Amino acid sequence: MRWGMAIELKRCVGCYECVLACKAEHFLPPDIFWNRLLIGEQGKYPQVTKLIYSVRCNHCADPACVKVCPTGATQQREDGIVWVDEDKCVGCRYCMVACPYQMRSMYEDGKSQYFPGQELTEHEKIGKVLYPHMPGVVTKCVFCKERIDAGLAAGLTPGVDREATPACVISCPTKAIHFGDLDDPNSEINRVIKEKHGHSFHPEFDTQPSISYID
Amino acid sequence: MSTIKPFDFMVKYQQQKDWIDGRGNFIAFAFFLGGIAGGLFLAAAYFDNLLGIFIAFLLTGLMGVSYMLHLTHPMRFWRMMSKPGTSWIARGFTFIMLFGFFTVITMILMQWAPDATAAITTFKVLAGIFAFAQSIYTGFAVSYVSAIKIWNSAIVPILFVTCGISGGLAILLAVMMGQDSTNIAALENIIRVVLIAFAIIVAVYLWNATYSSTAARDAVIRLIGGALAPLFWIGVFLFGILIPVVISVTTYWVHDASSGLLIFAVVSEIIGGLALRFAVLKAGVYTPLLPAE
Repeated sequence: MRWGMAIELKRCVGCYECVLACKAEHFLPPDIFWNRLLIGEQGKYPQVTKLIYSVRCNHCADPACVKVCPTGATQQREDGIVWVDEDKCVGCRYCMVACPYQMRSMYEDGKSQYFPGQELTEHEKIGKVLYPHMPGVVTKCVFCKERIDAGLAAGLTPGVDREATPACVISCPTKAIHFGDLDDPNSEINRVIKEKHGHSFHPEFDTQPSISYID
Repeated sequence: MSTIKPFDFMVKYQQQKDWIDGRGNFIAFAFFLGGIAGGLFLAAAYFDNLLGIFIAFLLTGLMGVSYMLHLTHPMRFWRMMSKPGTSWIARGFTFIMLFGFFTVITMILMQWAPDATAAITTFKVLAGIFAFAQSIYTGFAVSYVSAIKIWNSAIVPILFVTCGISGGLAILLAVMMGQDSTNIAALENIIRVVLIAFAIIVAVYLWNATYSSTAARDAVIRLIGGALAPLFWIGVFLFGILIPVVISVTTYWVHDASSGLLIFAVVSEIIGGLALRFAVLKAGVYTPLLPAE
């Protein structure tokens, strides 16, 4: 089993819903983004193409971050999900330096809040209880492993059942993001990648990402 | 590509800041201290200079302090030896520990059992191996990062170790001048060779980088003609290469060079070594993720 995503670039309208859904799902502090939108342009007037890429940790099959981590805090599960054990991270930032996609962040200021000088919002208060983030450690997308694990335990299928699927996937209003098991030849995600010619983002980095993009 | 962007994250060449800004400054210091500590030990061991070995040990201790200041959770430092199989930081931490251990034994034997020559030589060689490893691993830690093209070069470890040895030799020169040693002339000859080698390696490194990739070429341009030019030309070139080389070559003909001039060369060399680490770390840029025109 290896979880992966396929993102259809022509369907993405750049609404940032995936970014916000991730923020809400994981109660991410200010300035911490587990996924982002990269927006650029290619070509010259009048033939200009707008490029919008929804990016996050690629959960690479050959991840540079896992190799360089001196403590073993950055780990890869059997299902391919790369995650950081907060209790082991020393904060050396080698993984942040080594990631060619720059999809890792250091959560430094444990007291940061969305509205400084005012009371924490209800969402922030709940987040401190439900999903506390440890200051001084590296943080990143975990493919919503909590949703996947709980879903599998309940007999659900990630990528098919909403409750077992990552927040960014289910929140996408144009259904541009597909999720599923890359090791299952009959999965929907493999069908989409095959039929629509999905490709890795910057395969020259040679890390074998689990996320494919479809032009 | 248009210059107007909603934001520039990984859309333009993006400078790495994790190992240079804020706490990141301490890792540059740690790399520098590790390099000169290793170089100083090797030089001091060659000239059988106990004080030099002791200073190398102290500098390694300072390297450890600098490392701890870099970490956000320093009390977990013991975990940093967990993965020597794949991580250069883990390997380096192991090298530092072993270097410190063997250096302490070497110093004890040299001070209190000077007749145990076989044991002294054995531990000196062991400590020397780890001194070299401590000096060169910092270069491997940097060059392993394939995401940053100007770092991802086989020349970086050679550059760092040569810089470390030249800094170590310079410190030993100061130590031996204080001791009125008779070996100063021999040490000066070694310094001349190492300094010239260092200058050549810096030039080859930059020249090679301009051919390796557009990101590396962009980094070299920033180093020699962009925002980092003052750091490179004043710090690395002037202090690290030009002044020490001029003084070294001058002293080759003027045998009675003043000790003040030599001390100036020593200080200049140390500043240059520090500037080199900062220059290389600051020059690191990531390749943009979106296609550029």
